[in-house]
Amino acid sequence: MSLDGLATQLLALSTGALLLTAALLVWRRSLAAAARLLAVQGVALAALVVSIAAAERDAELLGVAAVVLALKGVVIPLVLGRGVRATGVDRENALRVNPTSGLVGVTLLATLAYLVSRPITQATAGIGGTAAGPAAFAVPVGLTMVLVGLLLVVTRRRALSQLVGFLVLDNGIATVAFLTAAGVPFVVELGVSLDVLLVALILAVLSGRLHAALGAVSVDELNELRD
Amino acid sequence: MTAPLVAQLALALVAVLAAVAAPDRIRGAVAGTATLATAAAGAWAGVLALGGATGALEVPSALPGVVLRLAPDRLGGLFMLVAGVVGAAVAVYAIGYAHGVTASRTQWAALPVFLLGMQLVPAAGDLVAFLLAWELMAGGSTVLVLAEHSRRAQTREAALWYAVTTHLSMLAILGGFAVLAAQTGATDFAGLAAADPRSAAASLAFVLLAVGFGTKAGVVPLHVWLPRAHPEAPSHASAAMSAAMVKMGVYGLLLVTLRLLPGGPTWWAAVLVGVGALSAVYGILQAAVASDLKRLLAYSTSENVGLIVLALGMALLLRDEADAPASLALLACLLLVVSHAAFKTTLFLGAGAVLRATGERDLDRLGGLAHRMPWTTAAFGLGALGAAALPVTGGFVAEWTLLQAMIHAAEPGERVVAATVPLALGVIALTAGLALLTFVKAFGIAFLARPRSLGAETAREVPVGMRVAMVASGVAVVGLGVAPGPVAAGLAQAVGVDGVGSAGLGGVTLDGVGAVLDPVALAVLSVAVVLPAIVASAVLARRRPRTVGAPAWGCGRIRTSPRMQYTATSYAEPLMRVFDDALQPTRDIEVTHVAESQYLADRVQYSQRVDDVVEVRLYAPVIRVADRVADAARRVQNGSITRYLAFAFAALVVVLVVVSR
Repeated sequence: MSLDGLATQLLALSTGALLLTAALLVWRRSLAAAARLLAVQGVALAALVVSIAAAERDAELLGVAAVVLALKGVVIPLVLGRGVRATGVDRENALRVNPTSGLVGVTLLATLAYLVSRPITQATAGIGGTAAGPAAFAVPVGLTMVLVGLLLVVTRRRALSQLVGFLVLDNGIATVAFLTAAGVPFVVELGVSLDVLLVALILAVLSGRLHAALGAVSVDELNELRD
Repeated sequence: MTAPLVAQLALALVAVLAAVAAPDRIRGAVAGTATLATAAAGAWAGVLALGGATGALEVPSALPGVVLRLAPDRLGGLFMLVAGVVGAAVAVYAIGYAHGVTASRTQWAALPVFLLGMQLVPAAGDLVAFLLAWELMAGGSTVLVLAEHSRRAQTREAALWYAVTTHLSMLAILGGFAVLAAQTGATDFAGLAAADPRSAAASLAFVLLAVGFGTKAGVVPLHVWLPRAHPEAPSHASAAMSAAMVKMGVYGLLLVTLRLLPGGPTWWAAVLVGVGALSAVYGILQAAVASDLKRLLAYSTSENVGLIVLALGMALLLRDEADAPASLALLACLLLVVSHAAFKTTLFLGAGAVLRATGERDLDRLGGLAHRMPWTTAAFGLGALGAAALPVTGGFVAEWTLLQAMIHAAEPGERVVAATVPLALGVIALTAGLALLTFVKAFGIAFLARPRSLGAETAREVPVGMRVAMVASGVAVVGLGVAPGPVAAGLAQAVGVDGVGSAGLGGVTLDGVGAVLDPVALAVLSVAVVLPAIVASAVLARRRPRTVGAPAWGCGRIRTSPRMQYTATSYAEPLMRVFDDALQPTRDIEVTHVAESQYLADRVQYSQRVDDVVEVRLYAPVIRVADRVADAARRVQNGSITRYLAFAFAALVVVLVVVSR
């Protein structure tokens, strides 16, 4: 198989993995499992970048892939895992929506994403290059991840679960960026990823402190700060 | 030209870093010195630009293709100079004045940011730089107003008023510029000037910009933030805000009417004259009855800005009718700007010294400071002379020029002009009279007679640095009045007015109307007239035998107390009666009777309160409606972050559904 054929296969595999992990995150309640799934998602994202790098013959993108792998595949899940151990509570026991209806929601959102992305797919198909090929048809995956991330943020009550949702959202944005722009400059990706790491760190520490101060960390209880 | 611009940017950065990094003990000295250097660089740039130097500094921004262009013209140079000189005086003063909460890291960092913003507003050559500098100025000054927020609820309220009005004015300015930019497709001032001033869009832009800049300038009825923010800010900040920041509003008006949209319809001028006249009279009336020293000064700012705007409107109004008086009115406008900057700096710094020494701002609790604080008294006296527009101060020269312009605008052809000029003359006369009364009150009650409170009794003169700043600005007030010739000639250059020259020892000649003012000669002449009279009376007095006063029967005079003196409130009482309808004070007399008989009063308490009529009648209803809307919105806003996120999520999905159809 040629390099391009391999790249296309890898792209299909990685986007599939991204979509699958996003759906699984809605299904699973355990936070430790969520951290592992996020690691898988990070690796899949890195694989996606590698596939684009192969198709574009762009060495700089390999550096980006390394950054993505290190931060999203390793560091951020580790931070999340530490946060889970620090609070000592693993299960999200107060879901707003049960997992089954959550999965139905994911299907609906994925359908919506595919419907909405058609203009983007068509527009990028006109540009030529990788963006015109199989990548263009994977754009809805990124959009689905964004929507699923938002769904997670809205339906979970614990701070750490919401952090998971936020990270899925960010991965979705990154996926769309990689697929439509045929890669993101190294500096930009580094900056964005470090920002996300910072957010994850702050939220993990914050939820640990909240747990120490209040017991159960349900964001619902933090509604005094208004006016 | 680029060197001083770069210098002030760099020095402001140094000042902020010094404020943040320096240890408490030396923070004032280090940050203050760096702030002084920033202001000096601004003044230097101003002098160069005023002298006609050209050249621009282009600062690249984070956005591609957007460049901040700093290129002051002569007029901008004048305002940079004013901001720089005021800033320098303020920085020197602040080193001695700031202590406690006003000397925190934040406060010392906000001061150079504020001054830098103020110096860059007139330097801006395009909209992006202008608006950025404008917001720096607004942000820095808001932080300064907030200095004492943890101790005083009024400070928080004042800062809120200030922040909201500043935001609204920014919106109006942004809207006005957007209209112009949409018309011309340009964002630099040279390109914006291509808009047709007679079009409807230009009129819309003028109204929006006039509202925005008028708010910053503090003209009635957009002045409500002024009498709140100025008293609550630390005095060095109020000096900078009142003497320099409101002038940026004036600069904005000049920018719009002279540079961007010259030759607009007559009604623009009429509006400016009307608003200016209203501000002048209303401002000085409120000042005359105010008993809070800093509130009095704040309202006096409204009055002076009113006069400035009136002069500007007059210049625009007369432009088609009478060329020479129009030029003179414009010159008077700038003279008013400069002299107000000088005397209001002096007065606010003086008020700060009084506040620092006595802990009092209420005139009714001051008194007798002349003996204890001679330097402050002298400086404040000079400032008060300038504010009352008496010779030989800058204020007198400015008002004299304005009156010359208006008197010589006789035989106007147009009806609007024929009606406006005499009315405006009357307004100026009334304002001048009331200003005299106001500042006689301010100076007399605060500094003369006997102390009315313990604070005033135990006052001590302020440190040397503060004295230097006060006296220097006081000397500037007199300097502008003694040698107005060179000043006026320089200002005339800034707006391209011909026929202004020097005469004698720094006197000024106005060729267009054939008027000459030589303050030195005037002073010498009056001394020559008065001196013989003084000598004669002294000689005559000597012939009489010396009398010794000894009260045989004291009529109660032997038991006088400081409370029997005139107070600020009682001094203004006759005026209050005359203008009762306009000011609408609320009075309250509370009589406590002796328990045995209701015919005998134990104590009588009289209280009087003057609220701002504009605020009560115009703003209060608007705020009530806004509150009601906000209450309705609060039902949606329950504090749950999940709900807010759900809103965003739902909105996103709805938008996507709509888009995908």
